[in-house]
Amino acid sequence: MATMAPVPGTDTTTEPLLEVEGLVKHYPLTQGILFRKQTGAVKAVDGVDFVLGRGETLGIVGESGCGKSTVARMLVNLERPTAGAIRYKGEDVTRLSGRALKAVRRNIQMVFQDPYTSLNPRMTVGDIVGEPFDIHPEAAPRGDRRRRVQGLLEVVGLNPEHLNRYPHQFSGGQRQRIGIARGLALRPEIIVADEPVSALDVSVQAQVVNLLERLQDEFGLAYVFIAHDLSVVRHISDRVGVMYLGRIVETGTDAQIYGHPTHPYTQALLSAVPVPDPAARDRRERIILTGDVPSPADIPSGCRFRTRCWKARQRCVDEVPLLAVPEAFRGEGGPAAHPSACHFAEEKRVVPADAAEARP
Amino acid sequence: MLLEVRDLRVEFATRDGVAQAVNGVDYTVDAGETLAVLGESGSGKSVTAQAIMGILDVPPGRITGGEILFKGRDLLKLKEEQRRSVRGAEMAMIFQDALSSLNPVLTVGDQLGEMFVVHRGMSRKDARAKAVELMDRVRIPAAGQRVRDYPHQFSGGMRQRIMIAMALALEPDLIIADEPTTALDVTVQAQVMDLLAELQREYDMGLILITHDLGVVADVADRIAVMYAGRIVETAPVHDLYKAPAHPYTRGLLDSIPRLDHKGRELYAIKGLPPSLTAIPPGCPFHPRCPMAQDVCRTDVPPLYAVDRGPVSGPGRGSACHFWLDCLEDSACRGPASDTP
Repeated sequence: MATMAPVPGTDTTTEPLLEVEGLVKHYPLTQGILFRKQTGAVKAVDGVDFVLGRGETLGIVGESGCGKSTVARMLVNLERPTAGAIRYKGEDVTRLSGRALKAVRRNIQMVFQDPYTSLNPRMTVGDIVGEPFDIHPEAAPRGDRRRRVQGLLEVVGLNPEHLNRYPHQFSGGQRQRIGIARGLALRPEIIVADEPVSALDVSVQAQVVNLLERLQDEFGLAYVFIAHDLSVVRHISDRVGVMYLGRIVETGTDAQIYGHPTHPYTQALLSAVPVPDPAARDRRERIILTGDVPSPADIPSGCRFRTRCWKARQRCVDEVPLLAVPEAFRGEGGPAAHPSACHFAEEKRVVPADAAEARP
Repeated sequence: MLLEVRDLRVEFATRDGVAQAVNGVDYTVDAGETLAVLGESGSGKSVTAQAIMGILDVPPGRITGGEILFKGRDLLKLKEEQRRSVRGAEMAMIFQDALSSLNPVLTVGDQLGEMFVVHRGMSRKDARAKAVELMDRVRIPAAGQRVRDYPHQFSGGMRQRIMIAMALALEPDLIIADEPTTALDVTVQAQVMDLLAELQREYDMGLILITHDLGVVADVADRIAVMYAGRIVETAPVHDLYKAPAHPYTRGLLDSIPRLDHKGRELYAIKGLPPSLTAIPPGCPFHPRCPMAQDVCRTDVPPLYAVDRGPVSGPGRGSACHFWLDCLEDSACRGPASDTP
């Protein structure tokens, strides 16, 4: 355990740990074999901004195809952004290369969704968790690695004696713990977790969520937590960003987003989540959206949500709504005053008022 | 009673020995009723459904006991041919993964129409017209044109609607939906569940909804059966179960889900892992993970006791826990929060 002592704060500046500005990822669509001609682009991520503070959890929610996983992959440099900046402690990671990039990547690690495909079946658990030390040999002296790996396994609640086992000998939840141990190996400051509990059963999911929270307290980690499950995201996040078709459409604290959503997409999304309380069945107002998400290769003009929005008017076709505190709420400063990219933002309560607090 | 499953037992031959997937399951479904079968992976919820439908892989699977009474007939005693005429026409199934359940090289119109050609002896032309009508019913826009499209040309939600259309084609009395919305996004999930509930009302069908999602169950079910290690551990009307569970496993599940309406500090987590089906613990299969396990739990398999005393008790409630009354009366069956596996 001693080997995993939290890294003492190296500097005490107030600047955010991570600052993302105008992040864009377009995948070109081409035609022709000899002379490739670009005919369009899949706009997977189309202008995303956010900041992440030390020890904070930012949740990003959205449906499949909204670009949330592409954002995650760009943060850990698995994809090169088409445009925009990712500033880690003020330094733009997208412009770095070679040794400087390697040094930054050490501090931003990833935990993947699928514990069945993200672990190499031919490597032992010890090799998987210890592999980051091969890439960054300065992180641990050779002779110390075995002990380090055992320490990591213990931290994530696995038996340190199981060093020589292979991934298939573990259950899904245990495999996810192996993935987390690997992410922790280099003592990063930021962990990007892309749907880390979606593949797990309910009872195991709770164990892993609790583990992530404990590790955060213990090592002062900052999380970017990406998921489609709105309840899990609320549970773990300090702030939440809601993505739709490559952009963040609303962002705020968990209480602002869940208790006082002002963007129609957020409202529809929240109202569609089944609540485990049959008594709420008739009390709840359901907003059922029509149609499907448009193709990211052919994004609607103006507001990108307008094709499914019940409030859409001419202004939504003509003018792109900016992500800012809507005018109507600017003066009040109440919980509804948080950035929302809608011309006609209105507060609407869609999650039943805190039923759980009323219970004994 | 539309369907009555009695003491059903299913085994699988595996490399590690015999896996006891279903160990004496009883449940009933009435016309117009929705029974939710809730369980985690490996609880036997899908295997039970496959046995009812008669689509179990035999071998390695084997039904070793029990009866499946459908409209009074024991399906397990029917010949394969008779079984085939029941399947599709009288009971139908909706699968989780619509993309792999549909044939990728046939148009959806051909696949929907096939039902009418095979079971009703219709001509191809009439069957095509029926297919369009069905696609209209499940609200697929421009059904007349889309009937010629292939499955990959539809979105996930639309494909699941086609699966529903296919299940409804011959107006069966019973529909089994195995995780019908698990692969879908929440906004689409809401559309599909709404559609399913509406069609069920319209045709007065029995519906078995197999799921792991306590939220979906709360939204649509009338009654609920919770499965663990191939057994039903608790059964109750849906309101009663959420109000006061009578089994520590159910209590643990309810406590371990994060909530949309408030932010808790730490989730309750049931300790340990579900047992391997080749080595189910003696006594109550849940005892190694149970915070209130006693000696008797390690030796005696609890029967499904009738929950006829205590708060929120009543007919139709059952719990396979020796200490169901304690569990019902307070939360003694809740252990401390933890993150250990």
